[in-house]
Amino acid sequence: MSAFFGTFPPGLVTGAVYAMLAMGLVLTYKATRVPNFAYGAMATLIAFFHYSLVRGKRYSITIHLLFLHVHIHARPQLPFWGALPVSLALAAVLGLGIERIVIRPFARASTVTMIIVTLALATVLDAVAQQIFGGQDLIVSNHDAIFPRTPAFSVGGVNVSWEQLGVVLIVLGLAAAVFAFFRFTSTGLAIRAVATDRDVSSLLGVSSSQLSVVSWLGGSMVAGLAGIALASVIVTSNPDLLFTLTIKGFAAAVVGGMVSLPIAVGAGFGIGLVEQIVQHYFPRTVGAGELFTLAAVIVVLALRPPWIFRGIRDDEDSGLTSGPGAGNSVLARLIDPAEAWRLVKAAVPTDGRVGRWFRVLRWVVPIALAVLAVAFPLLPLPGFWALPANLTLIDLLVVLSFVVLVGWLGQISVAQGAFIAVGGAGTVITAHTLGLPFPFPILGAVALSVPVSILIGLPALRLRGLHLVIATLAFGLAVQEAVLPRFTAASFVRVPHLLRSDGAKYEMSLLFVAIALLVCWRVQRTRVGRSFVAIRESETVATAYGIRPVRTKLTGFVLSGAIASLAGALLTYQLGGAFNQTYGTVAFSITWLSQSVVAGITSIAGPVIGALLFGLYPALSQGAVSAGHVSYLPEITAGVLTILIMAVNPEGLASMSRFVRSRTSAFEEAPSPLAEADDVDEVPPMTEVPA
Amino acid sequence: MTKLEIRDVRLRFGGVRALDGATFDVPEGQIVGIIGPNGAGKTTLFDCISGFRRPDTGSILLDGAVELTTKPPWARASLGVGRTFQNARLFRSLPIRENLRAVQHDRMRHSGFVRSVMGLGGARRDEADVAARADEVLELVGLTAHGDKPASELSTGMLRLAELAAVVANRPSLLLLDEPSSGIAQRETEALGPILRRLAGYLGATVLIIEHDMPLIMGISDSIVAMAAGAVVTAGTPEDVRAHPEVLRSYLGAAG
Repeated sequence: MSAFFGTFPPGLVTGAVYAMLAMGLVLTYKATRVPNFAYGAMATLIAFFHYSLVRGKRYSITIHLLFLHVHIHARPQLPFWGALPVSLALAAVLGLGIERIVIRPFARASTVTMIIVTLALATVLDAVAQQIFGGQDLIVSNHDAIFPRTPAFSVGGVNVSWEQLGVVLIVLGLAAAVFAFFRFTSTGLAIRAVATDRDVSSLLGVSSSQLSVVSWLGGSMVAGLAGIALASVIVTSNPDLLFTLTIKGFAAAVVGGMVSLPIAVGAGFGIGLVEQIVQHYFPRTVGAGELFTLAAVIVVLALRPPWIFRGIRDDEDSGLTSGPGAGNSVLARLIDPAEAWRLVKAAVPTDGRVGRWFRVLRWVVPIALAVLAVAFPLLPLPGFWALPANLTLIDLLVVLSFVVLVGWLGQISVAQGAFIAVGGAGTVITAHTLGLPFPFPILGAVALSVPVSILIGLPALRLRGLHLVIATLAFGLAVQEAVLPRFTAASFVRVPHLLRSDGAKYEMSLLFVAIALLVCWRVQRTRVGRSFVAIRESETVATAYGIRPVRTKLTGFVLSGAIASLAGALLTYQLGGAFNQTYGTVAFSITWLSQSVVAGITSIAGPVIGALLFGLYPALSQGAVSAGHVSYLPEITAGVLTILIMAVNPEGLASMSRFVRSRTSAFEEAPSPLAEADDVDEVPPMTEVPA
Repeated sequence: MTKLEIRDVRLRFGGVRALDGATFDVPEGQIVGIIGPNGAGKTTLFDCISGFRRPDTGSILLDGAVELTTKPPWARASLGVGRTFQNARLFRSLPIRENLRAVQHDRMRHSGFVRSVMGLGGARRDEADVAARADEVLELVGLTAHGDKPASELSTGMLRLAELAAVVANRPSLLLLDEPSSGIAQRETEALGPILRRLAGYLGATVLIIEHDMPLIMGISDSIVAMAAGAVVTAGTPEDVRAHPEVLRSYLGAAG
């Protein structure tokens, strides 16, 4: 029995940290309606900073200015409680900066836009943290722990340490303080008013931008504190943990409909406790507690109990294309294509010639690219060319699967990377268990993706926006925790003689990529593609015209899953086995989503541009850079560009040419046929009504 | 021949009886107007017919044979029930011409996934038919010059016309129009009557139309149903309904 109660102290402590995360998420969501998926990343960044400060990390910058070489280095070190105010101050600055630069320009954007933006922000913060603090795990020694890990007291043989006691008390105190803030201060009242009705509140003179500042400031500091406490409590943490953290915080916050503070805090404690108890009963299953939570999240969301909708803004359409971007921030205006085009037009005398050039280029560029792609192995290439080139094609396929699912169907999912793992598993199963020769494992991978896609698609039939992202995040994490670790050195496939050479592998991948692109191109131009877009734009209207939402959504999920799974199969053949685990992680999925947005989430050209931009170029340049030194610049660039592009043009780079065309062809304003009403039928005027 | 039989349809929202035993027939091939004050249950009735709401009790029979109330909305659309929305809704980011193709989704009998992607004969004919019809209805409402504009860039009046074109392109046999004149200027409303007649004639469909603009609805309807508080007050020719004392009192107000 005491073994059972022994799960309580660690359970309540991790629960306390989840509660703290949920609290910060609720605080921000209530005031600004922004579901902050960068929350875990903010917590992790502050935690890494804090413990670096406690341990004394050496920071150095070298500046070369002509013949002046300045080398600045510092090794700041403070005791734990001395460092805490500094860390929280940094959290405050981080929160204010994010609010001003990233959030403010999107004051009126749709939920889906905010989800993509905060996910992109998460990749940026994650990459920044890894760039500065290195990719190693953060281990908090007994000496650096937030409170001593010695027993404080013992109840019925169960020891409770000072650390556990202290963290729980801090969280309860903080919850009480935030609760009192909402209840008894005028700012808290204003936030509750805004949470209830944003428009009415602003008419009554509540400044929503001021509340935005307050909530991001507060939310960021809570995130910092949560990150510091969590790192101490779980002893060993790494940046990948941040997505797990975010989902736990969201799981707790969603229970309270994203607005109820007491319920969110209670749910946080509950999740922490249940995880420990489940882990206690399934000690040999790695991550059993986590899997239980993730499954519970998906089931609860799919059942749609009314209380999870309390504060949720349920956009009628998918919000991907019709939500207003920013347009008002200076940064956004700088890269506004319309603005840029106006400048070009002013500089060059055009008489339709530019338009003609565009039309010619639209054909010449793709054909040239195709020829180049086929003839690529014939070029004088460095010896390591095959891996980067193949990874580029795989990158292309994954982005294409995002285009189908997010860009066309409007179903925002962050589980696409998981299909890399599904494809790998399908390939290995077909090759080993079924023992079928070469082309079949690839077909097997695609076949396996069908039931899995339907499984992911099922919650999507009942969920949208925020709830859907949380469900797919949970699914992606479940695959990451349960499927990826099963890939071992034994998961190899026999590569046939025909495909032994790099060139042959490349041409085979290219063939499959061409087929996938062709299928998607046809889909976009015909009935199926139109039904996808119809569902994206408005499910209600689509249904009114006889488009079946269930069938359409599942078709989209299956198509996009098959494409990503194909990528997984090709990767397996490239590497000779399903070894590589990083490509299947949620973190990778989110980076891919960002890349898709940047390259053009609604167009076939998007994946091609994305692959050249984010696949080939970094792969080649990384190959050239000395091994061992990893730069996170591509991730940072993709994230930053995503935010900028969402601000000006949510359809991404690939829609630019269409965008430019629509601006330039300058519809001559044809009159509305209603305005020239001369053939009016004789209509009896109402004054003739007999009394 | 009766196109639609509405029998004792009831629907409550909490304590409010939105529909309280609405009962009437819609004869095949006619234009039937529905009038009534705000809150009379007109749009709720449309929602019940097209499937966006489910009545608590009552039956709605299409063509004297098909019970609609148990079917999902998309299935009703497939059976030939088309509707417009009070606030004129289309697929916002798609050009009008694309919109008009998308709404014909259900009429493309030979275009399954494989056949569409492979561009096989039937699917190719379907695509050509759909494109031709889109151009046809565009011409019919006079929006040919605006066909390449996205729906989000149209004025309310033009969006209204585009929506009419869309619902006509879908080829319903029963057309439900929810306040086609709402949000457009008086002068434009006058032009709407002939356009509606033209569309009804083109389709050969039965039309049920909710409208607040009296000259418009009295001018185009073959018969009128007056509703109040979720039930039918009276039904008959425009002249009869206009003369009904209840209608004069509760709806036309001071005019009586």
